[in-house]
Amino acid sequence: MSDKEIVISVRNLTRNFGERRILNGINLEICQGETLVIMGGSGCGKSTLLRHLIGSMKPDSGEVWMFGQDIAKANEDELDQIRKKFGMLFQSGALFDSMTVGENIALPLREHAKLDEDIISIIIKMKLELVGLRGFENLMPSQLSGGMKKRVGLARALVMDPKIIFYDEPTAGLDPVMTGVVDKLTIDLTRKLNITSVVVTHDMGSVFRIADRIVMLHQGNVLQIGTPDEIKHSKNPIIQQFITGAAEGPISFMQTGDNYLEHLTSKIKE
Amino acid sequence: MEVKALEENGFSVFQVTGEINISTSPELRKAFEKQSSKKVVVDLEKVTYIDSSGLATLVEMLKKTKAQGGSLGLAGMTDKVKSLFEITKLDKLFSIYSSRAQALTQV
Repeated sequence: MSDKEIVISVRNLTRNFGERRILNGINLEICQGETLVIMGGSGCGKSTLLRHLIGSMKPDSGEVWMFGQDIAKANEDELDQIRKKFGMLFQSGALFDSMTVGENIALPLREHAKLDEDIISIIIKMKLELVGLRGFENLMPSQLSGGMKKRVGLARALVMDPKIIFYDEPTAGLDPVMTGVVDKLTIDLTRKLNITSVVVTHDMGSVFRIADRIVMLHQGNVLQIGTPDEIKHSKNPIIQQFITGAAEGPISFMQTGDNYLEHLTSKIKE
Repeated sequence: MEVKALEENGFSVFQVTGEINISTSPELRKAFEKQSSKKVVVDLEKVTYIDSSGLATLVEMLKKTKAQGGSLGLAGMTDKVKSLFEITKLDKLFSIYSSRAQALTQV
């Protein structure tokens, strides 16, 4: 990765929610044209990290450099300019139900550019072609399957020709075939358009299909960064448990400790 | 971006220089609107990048030219620009020539 241009640089990113530390000094560099997967269990901080990468959350300390700017310190106007340069595929597709597929895809164009409607119409159709949904522009989101909605969301994420696309759980709720379709689209678009893809997921099948590199987060820390092969053969027991999905291991869903009685009765006067 | 409109051997030639993007493509569209020739060549040799709005502008121009019984050729695009036509399958819609000279004899 050393010969590739770094497009996102996260430096000592820390974020607390109340007394809980969610991100504990994250350092991460993301290169042009790579697909980087951020994985980890529920509550590990991966969605919070993603929100900091897209500028929708501000850290307690640390920096997020993208397009030559620390977006952690950018104001709303500056963030608006930066947001034109990246696309975001939300978990559910996040389509507006009252708008057609075409209107949903055109939203960023109408918001950020002054283009003739005939030109916008051609762009919508070009993007639908890219995601394999030719002729769907006049349908309503309610007429689409979950996988189709994701692909429309991807078409919208692509409409401004972004250099970076962020994906939040892109295959959540999809059947195995549609998961494969969305994964293939992610791979194709990243390679053909030389887009940088940052994917947050815990779908292990997808992770190893699409990733150039994987970041494993655990309790707000980067546990390991490596290629899929390196992660697969990691000796770290937490990573091994995560990959194999074993119920027993260092990742526990049970709260341990001796203070259970104290916790249950904390409001009872002695 | 800069657009020069020229007449050459009975062709309308548009020589485009620089980046065709969401800010500059309306200017290219304006230049196209002014011409009425049935034979059009767009010389893209000096174009460094073209985004979706630029591609859409060329698609619209192709449609209008064909509707008038004319023909349009694209000439001299770099490999990088050509790959953007290929990804969007637009290379199948346009007549693409390696140089302006070739386009002027074959369009």
